[in-house]
Amino acid sequence: MTLVAEAFVSQMAAAEPWPESATLYQPLKEDQILLSDCASSLAVQAYLRMCGLPVQVVCRANAEYMSPSGKIPFIHVGNQVVSELGPIVQFTKAKGNSLSDGLDDIQRAEMKAYMELVNNMLLTAELYIQWCDDATAAEISRPRYSSPYSWPLSNILAYQKQWEVRRKMNAVGWGGKTLEQVYEDVNQCCQALSQRLGTQPYFFNKQPTELDALVFGHLFTILTTRLTSTELAERIKSYSNLLSFCRRIEQTYFEDKKNSLKSSMILLINV
Amino acid sequence: MAAPDELFCWEGDWGLPSVSTDCLVVLAYAQFAGAPLKLKKMSNPWRSPSGLLPTLRTNQKENLTRPSDIIIHLRKQKYNADLDLSAKEGADSLAFISLLEEKLKPALIYTFWVEPKNYVDVTRRWYADHMPFPLNFFLPGQMQRGQLERLRLLRGDESLESGEELEKELYRDATECLNLLSQRLGSHKFFFGDTPSSLDAFVFGHLAPVLRSKLPNGKLQQHLKTLENLSSFCSNVLLLYFPRDGREGGGLKASSPPPPPEGGDFDHVPNKRRKQVLSALAALGAMLSYALLTGMVSIQQEALEEPPDPEPIGGEGEAGEEIH
Repeated sequence: MTLVAEAFVSQMAAAEPWPESATLYQPLKEDQILLSDCASSLAVQAYLRMCGLPVQVVCRANAEYMSPSGKIPFIHVGNQVVSELGPIVQFTKAKGNSLSDGLDDIQRAEMKAYMELVNNMLLTAELYIQWCDDATAAEISRPRYSSPYSWPLSNILAYQKQWEVRRKMNAVGWGGKTLEQVYEDVNQCCQALSQRLGTQPYFFNKQPTELDALVFGHLFTILTTRLTSTELAERIKSYSNLLSFCRRIEQTYFEDKKNSLKSSMILLINV
Repeated sequence: MAAPDELFCWEGDWGLPSVSTDCLVVLAYAQFAGAPLKLKKMSNPWRSPSGLLPTLRTNQKENLTRPSDIIIHLRKQKYNADLDLSAKEGADSLAFISLLEEKLKPALIYTFWVEPKNYVDVTRRWYADHMPFPLNFFLPGQMQRGQLERLRLLRGDESLESGEELEKELYRDATECLNLLSQRLGSHKFFFGDTPSSLDAFVFGHLAPVLRSKLPNGKLQQHLKTLENLSSFCSNVLLLYFPRDGREGGGLKASSPPPPPEGGDFDHVPNKRRKQVLSALAALGAMLSYALLTGMVSIQQEALEEPPDPEPIGGEGEAGEEIH
C-alpha cells in the first residue's frame, strides 16, 4: 500500500470500531488453494482470533485478482480492503488492537526479524516446492491453481504463474538450489524457530503475538497438507516443541471451528 | 596443505576493499574466520570463471557465487566465525540476516541502481570508468536492467516506476530495519559479544557502501549517519580487518583514478595504460585507412621487371594538352 493510502486508511480505521460483518477472502478451499496461500490465510485467521476480532472466511475463485496487492488473503472491513499480514497488523493496530504492545524495543526487533525469517525461508521454500519442483507442479500446483477455469485459459494461467514464480526464485538466488538444499534450509529455519521458542508457551513468553500467528499458519499448513512427498512435514515433526506449539494454538483458538479444521486435526493426531 | 581457494571480486574504492555488497560480505567473513583466500580483484566480470562476481573457485574446481554458499563452504573447511555463538544467537543471526535481505536490500538496490541521479553520477560512472573497453559501453546498462528486474520480482509488483512513492515506501522499510539493527547492536562492539560473526559480515557488507560512497541523493545515507553505533561499527570493522584499504582514499574525490596497487597481494589491472595505447592505435588506424581510401596516400608498387610503358611521351603530351 502506498504511504498516502495507508495514512488515509489508518485515519479511517481509527474512526470506526470493528464491524461484525468483516470478511476474509481466500481461494476455494477444497480445490484451488495452494500450500503457500493457505498458510498465509491461516496466519491471518489465527492473528485475528488472537486479537478477538470476529471474521468470516469466504472462498472465491478470483480472490487473488480481487486483492489490492495481488496476494492472499485480504480482509474486507467496513469499506476498506487490506491484504497481507503486515498491513493487516497495522490496520488492527490503528483500531486499537495490538498484540505486541507489551514488548520492549529489543524484543520487537527480534519479533520483526523472526517474521522476516519465516517469510524469507519458509514461504520461499513453500513457493519453490510448489512451483519449481516439476513433480509437484505437474501433479498438484498447476491442476489446483487452474481448476476453476476451462481450457485453454487454465493452461495459460497455470504456466504464467509458474514462470513468474520461477523468475522470482532466480531473482532471490534460489533458482540454482536443489530440492535437498531447500529441505535443508527449511530444517535450519525450523531449528532457529525451535531454539527461539525453547520451552515457553509462546515466542514472547505468556502472550501470543503476530509472530506466533505467522509461525502457526505456516507450520500447521505444512503438517496437514498432502504433497508428493512427506519430506517437508517430517523435517518439522522432528522438533517436538514446535508440534506442541501448533497443537496448543489450535486447541486454544480454533476449537469452536472444528468443522473447518476437522480433516486437519485428524492428520495431526496421527502424528 | 591444500592451496587456498581463489576469490574473484570487484575492485575497491572509497576506502573499501570492494564496492559490491556481496563481495564485502564474503571478504569480511573470510577475515573474521581467518580463512586464507587468494584474492583476485578485478573490474571485468567476464574474466571470472562463472561470469559473475564474487566467485569462489574451490580446490575441486567448483564455482560458488552466492555469499551464503561461499560461507557454508568455508565453514565446511573449518573456517567458522560462528563457533562461539550459542544456539539462540545462531537463530537470531539467521533471523536478522533475513531481515536485512527482505527490508534493506530492496532499498539499497533502489539507491544505487534505480534512483536517477545516483545511478548516473555514481554507479554508472564508477563501472564505466573501471571496466575495460568495450564492456564499459553496455555492461553497466545490462547490470542496471538486471537489478531493476530483481527489484521488481522481490516486491512482486507488476510495474516499477522510480518515483517519490516507491522511494518513500522502500526507505521507510529500510529506516525501520536500520533502527532495529541499531537497537539490537546497542553499545556492543559486535552483534554477539567481542568477536565478529557472520551477521556482522552481512551487516558490514550492506552498510559500508552506503556509508562510504558519495551519493547526490543520499537520504538513506543521512539516516544511517545519524545512527552512530552502526557508523562506528563499520569504521571499526574497516580499521581492524581492512587497515590497508581504510587508509587509502577516504572517498573524497568521486572521479579520481583508482588507488595505486599495493604490494603483491592484489592483481591490479593497468587498464588506464592499456586503454591509452589502444585508443592511440585505433586513432592511427582510422587516420591511415581514411587516407588510403580517399587516395591522399597511395601505395605504388615498384614493378622493376615490367617493360617500360609503350607511349610515355604521348600520355604526357595528352596530359599537358588537357591542363592547357
